[in-house]
Amino acid sequence: MTKVKMETKNLNLWYGEKQALFDINLPIYEKKITALIGPSGCGKSTFLRCLNRLNDLIANVRIEGEVLLDGKNIYDKDVDVYELRKRVGMVFQKPNPFAMSIYDNVAFGPRIHGIKDKKELDKIVEWALKKAALWDEVKDELHKNALSLSGGQQQRLCIARAIAVKPEVLLMDEPTSALDPISTLKIEELMVELAKDYTIVVVTHNMQQASRVSDYTAFFLMGKLIEFGETEQIFLNPQKKETDDYISGRFG
Amino acid sequence: MKILKQLDKFKIATLPAIFIVFLLFVLMLGFYFINALPAIEKYGINLFITNIWQAAEDPAKEVYGLAAPIWGSIYTATIAILIALPLSICYAIFVNDYAPKKLKHPLIIISDIMAGLPTIIYGIWGAFILVPLLRDYIMKFLYNHLSFIPLFNYPPLSGYCYLSAGILLGIMVTPFAAAIIREAYAMIPSVYKEGLVALGATRYETTKVLIKYIKPAIISGLILAFGRALGETVAVSLVIGNSFNLTYKLFAPGYTISSLIANQFGNAILYKYMTSVLYSAGLVLFVIGLVVNILGLYYLKRWREYVSH
Repeated sequence: MTKVKMETKNLNLWYGEKQALFDINLPIYEKKITALIGPSGCGKSTFLRCLNRLNDLIANVRIEGEVLLDGKNIYDKDVDVYELRKRVGMVFQKPNPFAMSIYDNVAFGPRIHGIKDKKELDKIVEWALKKAALWDEVKDELHKNALSLSGGQQQRLCIARAIAVKPEVLLMDEPTSALDPISTLKIEELMVELAKDYTIVVVTHNMQQASRVSDYTAFFLMGKLIEFGETEQIFLNPQKKETDDYISGRFG
Repeated sequence: MKILKQLDKFKIATLPAIFIVFLLFVLMLGFYFINALPAIEKYGINLFITNIWQAAEDPAKEVYGLAAPIWGSIYTATIAILIALPLSICYAIFVNDYAPKKLKHPLIIISDIMAGLPTIIYGIWGAFILVPLLRDYIMKFLYNHLSFIPLFNYPPLSGYCYLSAGILLGIMVTPFAAAIIREAYAMIPSVYKEGLVALGATRYETTKVLIKYIKPAIISGLILAFGRALGETVAVSLVIGNSFNLTYKLFAPGYTISSLIANQFGNAILYKYMTSVLYSAGLVLFVIGLVVNILGLYYLKRWREYVSH
């Protein structure tokens, strides 16, 4: 029996007057990969950003309902949002390394969360880069500017940066859409590898990617969760007509 | 096709204007140079590196050296930048990140208006309010208690001095530098900010990294502000004390190139070489201003390329 790591309960979200999410009830299982699929503008990225409260940055966003992490609502007043984001890390669509060295990029998270000791930081950086399958490529140039890496390397660096703070959940917002096929493959292998230790939620436009890497799939349409289930079931035996239409490429 | 033709016509129509602007620039530089030449020929390099102002009816006894005003211009502009640096960065961050939505727009408008205010308004305010305040509450205190530091070791008699000019200039150029920094800060792609926030960085930690990211824009904003401070005339003339001092002591009265020209222009025609000397001073300002502005624009361009990349 897999444990539920995160769960949303009747989650509604508005951008000003416009409602973007409608009553989303979705479990996210521990150490599994959950893929969120659906056409552009269906709310899947918005939903993802509710899970680490990144929507807090946007003015005019109003949220109702609950997002539970280990049973605790992350929107409760007593929740430390910085601590939350340490537990729920994120990788973005466009690789966004900071304009600093490779080492400093990975060490940034641990540093702001209080790790000062150089030896310990060295260890974390090496561990995270190894986990992100980037260590062998950069171990001799850790102090080179991160912006000089290729797009695929930058994205793996961002993954290393995210896992360096040892999060429990990793959110990935179309992590491969800006990358070439070979880099994409590497990231996908990495996701499967990471899922041994982490709970992963990935937003993707790429149907094959969802079917290749994920254990569970949630299909969103116009702000509503249409169907959720094990990936095999969603792809081979969808229960809803909209899911079937989308997966078989009839729209979206 | 028709539209293309019209575009070409428009381009042709703009050419004379561009030509005139360019011509004016070249003519002005040339004009300054020609008029400065008699003084440069007579005094040579001494005109720029000595501090002397000896006007005489007998041209043979006339001796001029512009070191004090040149120094004063650079010194006061530097003080201004040191003041504008923290103020403009804080302002830019506040407007972008912290100001309540209702306050954000009024703040931007106010600072833009302040950047465009006639400088005499700053000058009068500076002479009658800022200078007495600085003298009574800051300069006297520093002089009485810290005068073992050479910077403060000059009696602040009138309060009209380098420091007053520098502070007034700092206040004047802050809105200008702040506008450049504010825009650059707002231009940072949101993915970088989100990347920081998603790692659990606080607002302060996020801002610290983002500031580093816009360093080229900050440098260019400050260089361009430096250029503005150099050229400012009226307000400075009212608060700098207008005397030929060549010193780093903050409370000493001094001159800047522009305040020198403004003050001496009226009686320059009475002497054979003074007009030419003032042209030489103007030429120095012209060249410094040119270099500073080109440098500032270069940094700004680099930053824009960096962002669009």
